[in-house]
Amino acid sequence: MKKYVDHVRIGMKEYLVYPSAVWAKLFSKIIYLYLQFCIWSALFASNSMKHPDLNKADTLRYIVVATIVSTVIECNVIEKVNAQIQSGNIATELIRPIGFKRMLLARHLGDTVIKILCYLVPLIVLVKASVSLPLLCFGQIGLGILSVFLAYGIQFLYSLVIGLLAFWLIVTWPINMFFGAIYKLLSGAWIPVTMFPETLNRINIFLPFRAIYAIPVSILTSSMKVIEIWQSIGVQVMWLVILYILVQIIWRVGRNKLVVQGG
Amino acid sequence: MNTDNSSIEAIELRKSFKVKNREGGILAAKKYSQIEAVKDISFTIQKGDIVGFIGSNGAGKSTTIKMLTGILIPDSGSIRINGLDYRKKRREIMMKIGVVFGQRSVLCWDIPVIESFRLFKDMYYIPNEIYNKNMEMFTDILNLQEYMYKPPRLLSLGQRMKADLAAALIYNPEILFLDEPTIGIDVLAKDRIRDFISQINRERHTTVILTTHDVSDIEALCHKMLVIDRGSLLYDGSLEAMKKSYAIQYGNSQGEEEINLEQIIKHIYEGSFL
Repeated sequence: MKKYVDHVRIGMKEYLVYPSAVWAKLFSKIIYLYLQFCIWSALFASNSMKHPDLNKADTLRYIVVATIVSTVIECNVIEKVNAQIQSGNIATELIRPIGFKRMLLARHLGDTVIKILCYLVPLIVLVKASVSLPLLCFGQIGLGILSVFLAYGIQFLYSLVIGLLAFWLIVTWPINMFFGAIYKLLSGAWIPVTMFPETLNRINIFLPFRAIYAIPVSILTSSMKVIEIWQSIGVQVMWLVILYILVQIIWRVGRNKLVVQGG
Repeated sequence: MNTDNSSIEAIELRKSFKVKNREGGILAAKKYSQIEAVKDISFTIQKGDIVGFIGSNGAGKSTTIKMLTGILIPDSGSIRINGLDYRKKRREIMMKIGVVFGQRSVLCWDIPVIESFRLFKDMYYIPNEIYNKNMEMFTDILNLQEYMYKPPRLLSLGQRMKADLAAALIYNPEILFLDEPTIGIDVLAKDRIRDFISQINRERHTTVILTTHDVSDIEALCHKMLVIDRGSLLYDGSLEAMKKSYAIQYGNSQGEEEINLEQIIKHIYEGSFL
């Protein structure tokens, strides 16, 4: 157990090595949040938005919470795994008496601790201070947070699946970019999924992206029936299990395919 | 089978890679060819030996080392480390082996070296007394205190290599794999590293497997030799015996002076000896 705690600690330290990068990221997140807020306010003000299910307050709430939550859910495991497989440095992790995937998770948890302290808390304080509108549905906050945890797990496993494809492809950034675009749209990180046309929503049911942002953010921001909430959480658990199994399979098969690059 | 005294047993190892050949640009048809990096290698290494593992570039050394350290999985054949098989006892084996790659570092790049050591201390369950004793020893011989609190990215290559060597030995592994540990290292640092390796071998009876292109490494350290060429084992025996049989084959053309190992290795790679 202690070795994993060490990895969490190392993850934290590594994240803080370049403080200017942390500051730059914090500012970019603040600007992004402000931009999102302005764009959606403007869209509603210009009256071009007429959607039966959505009003201005709901949408703004959704967007603000989604942006804040994204600071925690974000995951750079794809890049990390890719870089390790591509450079062959994965060799130095494989010789350890510790699971590679667990080590990645521990490092990622370390990152997340720092992200919570450096991005999440400041953003929440900032939003609280500048926006008067109530953001959360307080009756559902417990389940909402549970749902964010599940989303965090789904995001990690999804990133691991894509990252490990490097066993076959060596470089996965093209796929990563392709899925990245789909992900940003379908997950609901940019646009509330309730705005999607029917067909897109139907496709989305068969993809895990919705479970990463749309579900937790909806639970946090809009009042839902209890049964609906549990259904959504059920969907998340299902994706967690599916992705977990997929990771195990890809790992088993991919390990045999590993070619350690560069001597 | 004599398992109590053998530390590494490789039986009929094979590994091949599929290589994509693209001739004439992106639009040309892809051709795949199978390259047999290692074909049917078997050998046994006894406890406490220092074995030099040599071969020309691309002979299959690194692939073999990577299979022995459990990084690559052989297509067929089996490996036993202290009688244990990677397929069943992976974790247990990993606790007993140390690996140094001359060309890559196992240390966390951006954070002080000491942090990586603390991580290994917990990862390998090293008791405090052993950890402290080892740290003292590394400080004495490898001047660890000079660069312990710096991140590897700020170290010189020699310091980095010493730090890596220390990191591989902090948990008292029974077997130490060294993949070109003296590459790019200056003469003095090389001497230090060699002395350190032979001291560890003497005091702890650590088995050492060493790949290198530096003949003086072999002369200074190795009792035994494994020579590999184009994926097959050419020689498996003592350094002395190799020199003797060379002297017999090439008569006294060298005169009475000491036989030059570099000369022997050149002849081996050229295919005119062994």
